[in-house]
Amino acid sequence: MLKRLFLILAFGITLAAANIASADISPTDSIRGSVDGILTLLQNKQLDKVTRRKEMRKVINERFDFRAMSQSTLATNWKKASEDQQQEFVTLFSQLIENTYIGRVEAYTDEKVDYPGEKIQGKKAVVETLILTDSADIPINYKVYQKKNGEWWVYDVIIEGISLISNYRSSYKDIVSKEGLDGLLAKMRDKIKELETQPA
Amino acid sequence: MNKLFTLILPVILTVALPVSGVSGNSTILPSAENAAHEDNYSAPMLAATDAAAQDETFTAPDDFENENLPWLDDEDEELDVYDPLETINRGTFWFNDKLYFYLLKPVARGYRWLMPDPLMLGIGNFFSNLASPVRIINAGLQGKFTDAGNELTRFAVNTTIGIGGFFDTAKDHFNLTKKEEDTGQTLGYYGIGPGPYLVLPFFGPSSFRDGVGLLADSRMDLTYYLWEDWDYWSAIILKTVNTVALDKDTYEGVKRDALDPYLFVRDAWTQYRQNKVEN
Repeated sequence: MLKRLFLILAFGITLAAANIASADISPTDSIRGSVDGILTLLQNKQLDKVTRRKEMRKVINERFDFRAMSQSTLATNWKKASEDQQQEFVTLFSQLIENTYIGRVEAYTDEKVDYPGEKIQGKKAVVETLILTDSADIPINYKVYQKKNGEWWVYDVIIEGISLISNYRSSYKDIVSKEGLDGLLAKMRDKIKELETQPA
Repeated sequence: MNKLFTLILPVILTVALPVSGVSGNSTILPSAENAAHEDNYSAPMLAATDAAAQDETFTAPDDFENENLPWLDDEDEELDVYDPLETINRGTFWFNDKLYFYLLKPVARGYRWLMPDPLMLGIGNFFSNLASPVRIINAGLQGKFTDAGNELTRFAVNTTIGIGGFFDTAKDHFNLTKKEEDTGQTLGYYGIGPGPYLVLPFFGPSSFRDGVGLLADSRMDLTYYLWEDWDYWSAIILKTVNTVALDKDTYEGVKRDALDPYLFVRDAWTQYRQNKVEN
């Protein structure tokens, strides 16, 4: 189960076609572009680890809307937070998600990705993907929305029924109710420090 | 062997420790229902808000739109986890965690070093095939007769052409994919809620409903009828170790990345089961 969670992160990321005028690009093509970008990076044996991570971060940042994710994760606490707290949360949260992704992605370099379909409702869409592994096929859905410039950006990833954002929302809500938003931010800072000192 | 133990242990098969590896094999396609929850949305999602103006200091990618997205609030489906036993659960979680890192994982690592990949996959298929009655019966009990027939066909094909279930011929050559069904899902189908969240020693995350389901499942699993006593235990241990060996350090990832691994596993498990019941 959790395996899928990480896969989502790992493959959900979009990229390559980043700056092509995207008005005509379908949600699926947007996701496909990013997933292909990630897969290409992973399979490029000439890249050293540091460069590859940097490039992957770039791909992630060009498809994942971390601010939307942050707002959705904090839910009601978002509005209670000060501007500064919001900003810090977005920064820390995106670092955590990127770390999670990068830490896991190397385990899944040889998988193929299928695109069974997409559902568009106005400015929002769900892109279905299927990661084909030896032992199982893992469904990963991306929730995307269209920005004013026509680009589709990811605001949630659903791995086999588990919404990443719902999961963070629920866990973080528990932490905020016990330790306050500042407590949560402190925990996030500590975690990031810990991750930096013990890279995956 | 102690009868009580025999009752409980088979469950390991299904929810391998904190890894919850079992779920690893399902192939349920995300269905339209997932998206359907959002059908009612139609508001102007990108309407600029006052907050946008105040956001100038935020540093982010160039094309970042620094505004709150009002429509996101409608997406906030509350995940309802009832966990009155949190204190005890955290203790059990800790126990499973130690068990995993100090016993199960080292064993699985040695096993993985020893065994060729195809053999591990075959063993996984073999045990999964023995558990076919769990899926056939529970699909049937929920009135999903197409799924039940599908699983029955898979069982017949894999047991024969797939050489005792070692190969998933039904999937590879007949495009019949497995769909996980179990007693917990059947109970959920008939409106029984999960009840309190429960971390079971050895078996990992569960709930009152799914715990009962696991007991029933273990009796529908042919493994239970094929071996006795020590042979049976050995089979269970093999299945568990094999599952962990095939897993790509999922739990390590959670442990490393989550602010609170207990909450992360609990909430992921709850969503996972909720989705299973609905599909």
